[in-house]
Amino acid sequence: MSNFRRLLGYLRPYRYRVFLAVFLMFMVTLTALPLPRIIQFVIDRVLPHHMWHTLNWIFWIIIGIYLFRGIVSFSLNYLIGWLGQRVVFDLRFHSYRHLNRLSLSYYDQRQTGKIMARAVDDINVIQYMITGGFVTLITDMLTLVLVIPVIFLMNVKLALIAMAVVPIYVFNYKLFLKKIRPLSVEIRKSWDALIGTLQEKISGITVVKAFVRENFETEQFIKTIRLNYDLQMTQATLNRILAATATIIRAVGTGLVYWIGAKLVGVHTLKVGELVAFTGYIGYLYDPALRLVDFNVQAQWAGASMDRVFEVLDTRPEITDAPNAKSMSNLKGSVTFRHVSFGYSRDNQALIDINLDVQPGEVIAIVGPSGAGKTTLVNLIARFYDATEGAILIDGVDIRQIRLESVRRQIGYVSQESLLFSVSLAENIRYGRNDATREQIIQAAKNADLHDFIMTLPDGYDTKIGEEGIKLSVGQKQRMAIARATLTNPRILILDDATSALDSKTEANVQAALEKLMKGRTNFVIAHRLATIMNADRIVVMDKGRIVDIGTHAELVAREGVYQNLYNEQFKSAQDEALAELLG
Amino acid sequence: MVLIAILTVITAGLGLPGPLIVAHLIDSLFKHHSINLFLVFLALVGIAAGTGLVGYALTFAVTYLGQQFKMEMRRRLYSHMQTLSLGYFEKNQIGKMMSNITNDVATLDQLISGSFVRLMQDSATLIGVLVIVFIKDWKLALVALSVSPFYVANYLLHIGHIKKAADDVREERDVMLGDLQEKLAGAMVVKSYAKERTEVRQFVGQTRNLLDLNVDLSMLGTRLWTIAEFIGSGCGVALIIWYGGREEMMNRLSPGNLVAFISFITGYMYGPILRLIQLNDQFARTNAALNRIFGTLDTEPNIQNKPEAKVMPDIKGHVEYKHVWFEYEPGQPVLKDINLDIKPGMMVAFVGQSGSGKTTMINLLSRHYDVTDGAILVDGYDLRDVTIDSLRKQVGVVIQETILFNTSIRENIRYGKLDATNEEVEEAARAANIAHVIEALPKGYDTLIGESGIKLSGGEKQRIAIARAILSDPRILVLDEATSSLDSETESLIQEALDHLMKGRTSFVVAHRLSTIVASDLIVVMEKGVIREAGSHIELLQQGGIYASLYNQQFKVALESREAEGVKL
Ligand SMILES: Nc1ncnc2c1ncn2[C@@H]1O[C@H](COP(=O)(O)OP(=O)(O)OP(=O)(O)O)[C@@H](O)[C@H]1O
Ligand SMILES: Nc1ncnc2c1ncn2[C@@H]1O[C@H](COP(=O)(O)OP(=O)(O)OP(=O)(O)O)[C@@H](O)[C@H]1O
Ligand SMILES: [Mg+2]
Repeated sequence: MSNFRRLLGYLRPYRYRVFLAVFLMFMVTLTALPLPRIIQFVIDRVLPHHMWHTLNWIFWIIIGIYLFRGIVSFSLNYLIGWLGQRVVFDLRFHSYRHLNRLSLSYYDQRQTGKIMARAVDDINVIQYMITGGFVTLITDMLTLVLVIPVIFLMNVKLALIAMAVVPIYVFNYKLFLKKIRPLSVEIRKSWDALIGTLQEKISGITVVKAFVRENFETEQFIKTIRLNYDLQMTQATLNRILAATATIIRAVGTGLVYWIGAKLVGVHTLKVGELVAFTGYIGYLYDPALRLVDFNVQAQWAGASMDRVFEVLDTRPEITDAPNAKSMSNLKGSVTFRHVSFGYSRDNQALIDINLDVQPGEVIAIVGPSGAGKTTLVNLIARFYDATEGAILIDGVDIRQIRLESVRRQIGYVSQESLLFSVSLAENIRYGRNDATREQIIQAAKNADLHDFIMTLPDGYDTKIGEEGIKLSVGQKQRMAIARATLTNPRILILDDATSALDSKTEANVQAALEKLMKGRTNFVIAHRLATIMNADRIVVMDKGRIVDIGTHAELVAREGVYQNLYNEQFKSAQDEALAELLG
Repeated sequence: MVLIAILTVITAGLGLPGPLIVAHLIDSLFKHHSINLFLVFLALVGIAAGTGLVGYALTFAVTYLGQQFKMEMRRRLYSHMQTLSLGYFEKNQIGKMMSNITNDVATLDQLISGSFVRLMQDSATLIGVLVIVFIKDWKLALVALSVSPFYVANYLLHIGHIKKAADDVREERDVMLGDLQEKLAGAMVVKSYAKERTEVRQFVGQTRNLLDLNVDLSMLGTRLWTIAEFIGSGCGVALIIWYGGREEMMNRLSPGNLVAFISFITGYMYGPILRLIQLNDQFARTNAALNRIFGTLDTEPNIQNKPEAKVMPDIKGHVEYKHVWFEYEPGQPVLKDINLDIKPGMMVAFVGQSGSGKTTMINLLSRHYDVTDGAILVDGYDLRDVTIDSLRKQVGVVIQETILFNTSIRENIRYGKLDATNEEVEEAARAANIAHVIEALPKGYDTLIGESGIKLSGGEKQRIAIARAILSDPRILVLDEATSSLDSETESLIQEALDHLMKGRTSFVVAHRLSTIVASDLIVVMEKGVIREAGSHIELLQQGGIYASLYNQQFKVALESREAEGVKL
């Protein structure tokens, strides 16, 4: 219920329109009332007394009423349509904005499809309720408020009879409500699962195909849709029973009114026309009750959806700006780790007591076995996560005291997995900097040794990626990501295994360009191919979440330890050969 | 279907007697005839009970039909998509494909379970009412019908616009969905560039367009219905009361019949006509969805089994590329006249510039694409002459970009062989040198990846993918940069296990770190889609070509330092 109240909050900015809508609903309801009375008048007065002239008048009155009704109800529906769409818009906007605020860990933990389901489907369900359910509910309430006095004024006895069946109806309704609610939640969940699977398996289609799992996946999918199907059927059954019972209860009421009413006509306490009008009015009484069933389904659905949408909105971003965070627009780029420890979860320490002091302009290489925590370390610099213990300082200021956006804007981060969007090559490169000129884009592509390749494409820089476009090789994607990062002219450049898919020649080209770029910036380079990082100012060797050694290449190879082992392993063959050459 | 048809006709039929009974009642009251009121009551309640029950059965049957239909349609679409070749998935945004299966099918279902039934029910009612009304008083019936041309005109005026607006809404929604999916999946990139606000702004732009289009659509709909209601309920009823009233005063019509007429015409005639029109509107809206659904279903997989395709027998591993040409986009050859003869049991390495076509060579081997010209033979079988399944089952590929699914680690590895025992899974994990990492996790192999689980490092993911491939026990193993995110030590441990495993089997390795491949039997150096050099490590070094220069580049330091040391020696 509190969710419904919260949803109403979304209507607050438009409260005048809402008031107007309610007023219009009132008018629409009002225009429905005269007709039974007019029919009564015709039957009881006009016809027996042959009032020809009045009959003509009545014709025009009815036309007039309906014309008025048409205009009002058109405005009403237009208004309601607008309100519904507007609330959807606001909700989507809020959810999406909020999703963008949430930290990476939120995305780590969720399937993309499920997040989508909330931003799209759930909000649609809510919209249906606003434009459909809410309106009917209010109109029906108004009708009830207006009709009940009218029928009591017409004939108390009949009115009491008509009302007598209502409690049965309410009781019946309450009985079902209990069962329907949890079902709706289940249905939303199964829908989630469906979307989640779809998204995951469609984006992972290469794996599905590589292992010839098409049939298996189809079977899995059928299981999900079948679950959804079963739940929907259960819900439909419940609803139908409810509706059928309601129809019967309504008929009993109407039948009783005719029965008693006819008797009253027999003893002349009631006119025929009055009876006809009365039965017309009790339609207005029972119909809303019947419609309550529909509204109920919608409301249950919407309730479940609201829970989920608001859950997103209520998730607090883990990384936020401190209230007094400052904006630092011109970083020098010194980075200091002070006793930093970090764990993705409590029982899993990814970084332990990291201490590191990096001067502006330095090139720091990070090496170490897979899973040592290299990515984690650089993730903390970009503040994708906050250190559990200790602090990271940029230019001597705790990173948590700097405005997030101002840090990230000055960091060029090329992550391990290169992700591009379905837009043109130029737009992908420009992603980090919208105002980049064509020349700058081309320069960035040249730095990443991509220009020549792009020029071989018929559409050059305007070639689209993905849908209606081409697919790039992994190495080409990596270079795109590098081009994208360098274009932003960052103060701190982070390359996380960013050249792993490049051959040594291409890599050397990229590196020659990068070396120039790296001057005057602070650079972090993660790589497994030691040739890539040998020229770094300092090499940080990590193992199991700790920094185990720091030094230049020459220093590190000379020392026994992780680095020497890596080195020996990678260059074994070269050494063997050199040795062989020497010996023979 | 037949059941539904019968049920609809019954429901429609049950609606008709009500007004007649009431008419009879009213006329008796007017003429002061006695009438068994209890019977009237019973009749009314009985009919309602009948309507309720049949209606219940009907809606149930319809919901059943609709839900079945949805399920079946989604299954078909999904399983059809599964048969489509990789090319299809590269050309379509994920969000849009999803929307095809979810939204389009839902739209269709609305038509089926909602409108179809109404169509039948309304047609039945309409026919019944027309018959009754014409029998009772054909003149009055004609009067009542006189407004219908306006009805139709109103409808025809609107429908084109509505259809167009509905298509626009669809399209815009798809654009929004496609982008949403991409940007949510790429949250990492959005965040690294601090582009959240731009993204939100762009999203707002799209949703605002959607808002405007939707409002337009709903406005059009509202206009249609409001005018229809005015014509039907307003003018129609006014006409009947006026004309019927005159008739009654001239004693040509009983008051009961007048009342019956009003309720027939308002409730049973204009309603159905209105809804029949609405159905058309629905059809128009559904059209776009239908087109897309059939569009998907009609897409033929680029790669298909030939009718006479044979099952590939156990592969020995003799792979031949014969004058292979290939292009993804017509006119842009990616592979040019590739010739290779790989003997069973060989380990072949592909090296070469990024974008030179190494992955493409492999994609062709698992027949994700068909060669444009030439042929690839495995054990003498042209790949196009054997069934796709039997081929791919024997070719284990660890693709360049690691993809794992949101389930437990165990399930992820088991994906390579669905009926593998826990021991086999753990064995594979050991071979991929990831077992110790997994065992250190609190939940071990049952640790979930991704949703409500953990995220793995790049190298850990690669090793799981390798374990998955090892478990599938392929006859030909392909590693496309499968160890690029691994340190050399871990890599050489895996290499050892693989050597053991692949003894006597053919394997392909793509790698840029040359230490990975020096031991290969054959190293193929590619450049811009052609093979420039091929031979063993030693041979290629002696040739002093591309390979030698790549090698020197990568091993420069090592060689230099060795030499220095050698001098010292
Ligand atoms: N599906 C596709 N559609 C169109 N062009 C493609 C497609 N896949 C690859 N290409 C193009 O074909 C060429 C060869 O790509 P391929 O993936 O085979 O390169 P690669 O040698 O594996 O490179 P890398 O080492 O960077 O992974 C590239 O120029 C690429 O842009
Ligand atoms: N989002 C996450 N949630 C939970 N655990 C994580 C997450 N990301 C990484 N880990 C774990 O933290 C550890 C360090 O991971 P990290 O990605 O920093 O390794 P890495 O040194 O970059 O390895 P690689 O060279 O393989 O990329 C790993 O054991 C990994 O499983
Ligand atoms: Mg490749």
